[in-house]
Amino acid sequence: MAHWLICLWGAPAALGFALLFNVPPRVLPACCAMAVLAVGVRYAIVTAGGDLVMATLVAASAVGIVAQAWARRLRHVSVIYAISAAIPLVPGVLMYHAVQAMLRIAALPNNAPGGALLEEAGVNAIRAAMVVLALTIGIAAPRLLWPHRHG
Amino acid sequence: MSTEAEISLAQVTHLALQIGLLAHSCGGDTARTSAAMQRCATALGAHRVDTVVSSLNLGLTLEMGVQRETALRKAPHMGVNFRALNALERALTALEAGRISPAAFKSWTEQIAADTPRYPPWLIVVFVGIACGGFAALFHGDLAAIALTTVASAIGMATRQALVKRGLQPLMFATAAAFVATLITGAGHALTSTPDAALAACVLFLIPGVPLINGTSDLLQGNYLNGNVRLTMAIVIIVGIAIGMSLALRMVG
Repeated sequence: MAHWLICLWGAPAALGFALLFNVPPRVLPACCAMAVLAVGVRYAIVTAGGDLVMATLVAASAVGIVAQAWARRLRHVSVIYAISAAIPLVPGVLMYHAVQAMLRIAALPNNAPGGALLEEAGVNAIRAAMVVLALTIGIAAPRLLWPHRHG
Repeated sequence: MSTEAEISLAQVTHLALQIGLLAHSCGGDTARTSAAMQRCATALGAHRVDTVVSSLNLGLTLEMGVQRETALRKAPHMGVNFRALNALERALTALEAGRISPAAFKSWTEQIAADTPRYPPWLIVVFVGIACGGFAALFHGDLAAIALTTVASAIGMATRQALVKRGLQPLMFATAAAFVATLITGAGHALTSTPDAALAACVLFLIPGVPLINGTSDLLQGNYLNGNVRLTMAIVIIVGIAIGMSLALRMVG
């Protein structure tokens, strides 16, 4: 699969969560479009040499700002777009590697050194936590920058 | 004001609390819940409104003329419901603009609370499965990994719905659902050349997106206590996912 085509998978990933959060049917296409935008922006920045945390912050801020603008125009609540659209940015692979390394630490024989596993678990967990933090701050960005236009 | 003649202080208090409860239980953050109560009471004629929003209780004190009333209510956590949250925002805007009477506002919001349409559970199961398949694709999984994840996550999601219905706590349903999804994905790992993408994606339907984002939003807006409560809720679910995953990974290698 071509790499840029992979970004389109952001749409079904957001759609499932939008149904779970009971987003109104008319808003679903916008959620999917914003999810593709988010994944695309992050992919472009990472391809251009940016790190994952920075790229996630920019992508999530883009979602937050577009969601705010769209929601204001249609007099909707912006979180109903932003949260489902940001879901495809969740760093699942990092989380998985962290859990897997922790599991191997748990399975170590007594007195065996676990330094390398600890490093793997720690680095992945910290990167995952920072990506999630960047994601949530990015979504909240419009509310932080323009507190009186909360919508 | 004409509204004061139509509606008593006790009624305004009751209605504002109901509005706050609706915003809180449908996935509004602290600022939104507080603003909803504030706006409702002000539009109905209160000249001073003070609100308290904690994770489990809502309270407000209203002043209208020489009268004052304080009330508290338990605020149970329910499923996220953005459709209701959106409808509530419209009703509040209409009330503030004077387009609807207080009585019409009351019946409109009662209707939102009672029967906002929801997607059927089977449809959610199918699309949440596909969503996790989408995640597997985003993680550079092959088509077999996408299909395997879709099936495993759909079954995991059905497990979660069944357990939530039986009243299980978040740690328990997250552990069980993550266990089921990981076990199925792990059992089928020979089908795909990218089993890691499938394993990483299959539990993501449990990620507590709304508590994470609302919790951060609360922290960033100065509602530190509620922000921490929401993030702690999210962490409990994430720990559940990790436990369920690691139990299943031990069994399937």
